Amino acid sequence: MRIYVLRQLALLIITLFLLTVFAFCLSYWFPGNPVTNSSGIFTDDTLRYTEAFEARGFDHNILVQYWFYLEHLFRGDWGISLLDADPVFEQLKLRFGATLEIALLAMLLAIIPGIAFGVLAALNFRKPIDHIILSISLSGYSIPVFWFAQIAILVVAVHWGVLPIAGQINPLFHIEPLTGSILLDIFITQPENIELALRSAIRHIMLPVLVLSVMPMMLLIRLTRSSMLDVLDKNYITSAYAKGLSTRRVIASHAIPNTMQNVIRELGSMLSLLITNTMIIEVIFSWPGIGSWLIRSIYERDYPVIQGGLLMIAALILCVHVGLNLIHSWRYPQVRKDLNAAS
Amino acid sequence: MPRPNLYYEERTPSPLERVWLEFNRNPLARAALYILIFIIFLSMFGPWLTPYGPNEQMLDAISLPPAWSDDGNIRFLLGTDELGRDMVTRIIYGARYTFGYPFLVVLASAAIGISLGATAAITVGVKSSTLKHLLDVLMSIPSLLLALIIIAITGPGLSNALLAIGLVLIPQFLHVTRNAIQDERQKPYVTASRLNGVSDFYLLTMVFFPNIVKVLVIQLTIGLSIAILDIAALGFLRLGAQSPTPEWGSMLAQSLEVAYISPWVMALPGIALFVTLVSVNLVGETLRIAIQKQLER
Repeated sequence: MRIYVLRQLALLIITLFLLTVFAFCLSYWFPGNPVTNSSGIFTDDTLRYTEAFEARGFDHNILVQYWFYLEHLFRGDWGISLLDADPVFEQLKLRFGATLEIALLAMLLAIIPGIAFGVLAALNFRKPIDHIILSISLSGYSIPVFWFAQIAILVVAVHWGVLPIAGQINPLFHIEPLTGSILLDIFITQPENIELALRSAIRHIMLPVLVLSVMPMMLLIRLTRSSMLDVLDKNYITSAYAKGLSTRRVIASHAIPNTMQNVIRELGSMLSLLITNTMIIEVIFSWPGIGSWLIRSIYERDYPVIQGGLLMIAALILCVHVGLNLIHSWRYPQVRKDLNAAS
Repeated sequence: MPRPNLYYEERTPSPLERVWLEFNRNPLARAALYILIFIIFLSMFGPWLTPYGPNEQMLDAISLPPAWSDDGNIRFLLGTDELGRDMVTRIIYGARYTFGYPFLVVLASAAIGISLGATAAITVGVKSSTLKHLLDVLMSIPSLLLALIIIAITGPGLSNALLAIGLVLIPQFLHVTRNAIQDERQKPYVTASRLNGVSDFYLLTMVFFPNIVKVLVIQLTIGLSIAILDIAALGFLRLGAQSPTPEWGSMLAQSLEVAYISPWVMALPGIALFVTLVSVNLVGETLRIAIQKQLER
């Protein structure tokens, strides 16, 4: 296990290193001046420009430049936005919380019904219930998330008027952003009418999270169903029945734990899908997260923001992947053995 | 005079026939297949079928609802949008942008990815193992994010978006091909051909390829569904096809402003996209089931 953990961590460090190299190269690949692209200071601001030019080592060769880039990166000086001169790193920290908030809530919301319906479908293999669940999950999985969000807004927020359309909280409340995640911020700052603020925040967060959770839920149903069907074919299930265990015990203590092994393995690809959908949902619901900022910055050509945002999201996805791999191999030793044998 | 068949013969249907049988068994899957063929037809010959041009504005008919509602006009079967453009025409033209071009892009990147993957599978060693790790990393980053990175460098636009998606799909085909060949290479029939002394090229095209083509077809449908969804998402984010282009995603983005007064402008491109994606996914799913059944026999 120790060797496996070390290997995974080494892989993570190497990929993160490659990622920073790539992000560094981006400032050359973007059109325009590389100093401006990485620091966000325009050339006509001569004094600060020369400062940035020297601080980032642009009078030296490219390796030195990369070294200075890394130094700035670790110091948290990721340049400033070309549009509004906000420091990129501080903004990203705040927006990161907001993105994680809806992504995690959607994931949590998706897991329980996803697995439950998947198991239900597998137990009723090729019966009407199975067909119904399967067709719902296929169509739910093919529905484009941006269209679904629009329809949800039109029906729930505009026609019924039950939930607000966009934003994190009613602008009448003044919540000091500390973590970026609105629910956490309310608990930390403890405003005067905390109950009203919480209710408003929850009403705002409901629609994006619900829309976001549909896709992972449908994927989980399909995944759980197929891996459960595989497990139910195994000999140990037959032998458990032959021992005289009740169906409920066989399912709960033999079938489901083994089903989860495959599901956890596939969770990583599902999470990366979830992150992409979160980016789109943020744009639609004007959620102040990384995704909406990144997409806005791409068509405003705000290069320091693009650089920082990409680095952050990609690093997040890589870390989650390695984390899931580690959990998977920690919980299921036989996977570990296969991996060691293969290497 | 046909001879009567006296003896009971067990006839095994060919793989293609078996796929067809699977489609025949499931009416939904058959419907999906027909819809897909219809969409391919539309994206090839659509421009000859439409009554108007995609950007032709009818100033006497702005924001008309579909023909079956009271205010509708039969000249515009599905109504018009806020600039007086016929929705039927725009949707049919959109099939080319949202389905046709991604389809071609997927075919191109499949060709590149498969040949690269085959080369990678034949050469074993350090090169191959670094490639595997790099690919794993690349695969873990979502396709839309990678496409966004490429668009950030090249700038928004339909051709850039298509290029980005093509580049993003190549590693996936590479990975699948490489894994499939690696799974097959220990099997006896490969060893037998090796002992026959065939060349590497013959081994790839005549020995491996017929046996991995099933996996590749499935990956093709997955790639197609990803490409369609991504091109529409990029269009929706205004990073792909630009405004007057009748691409379904960018039509959805434009309809945001009028969604309340003329909801059909928003609903129609979405329905078209949804139906296309469902049929691609359903056809892929049926192919997968059919192939799995063949393996189990």
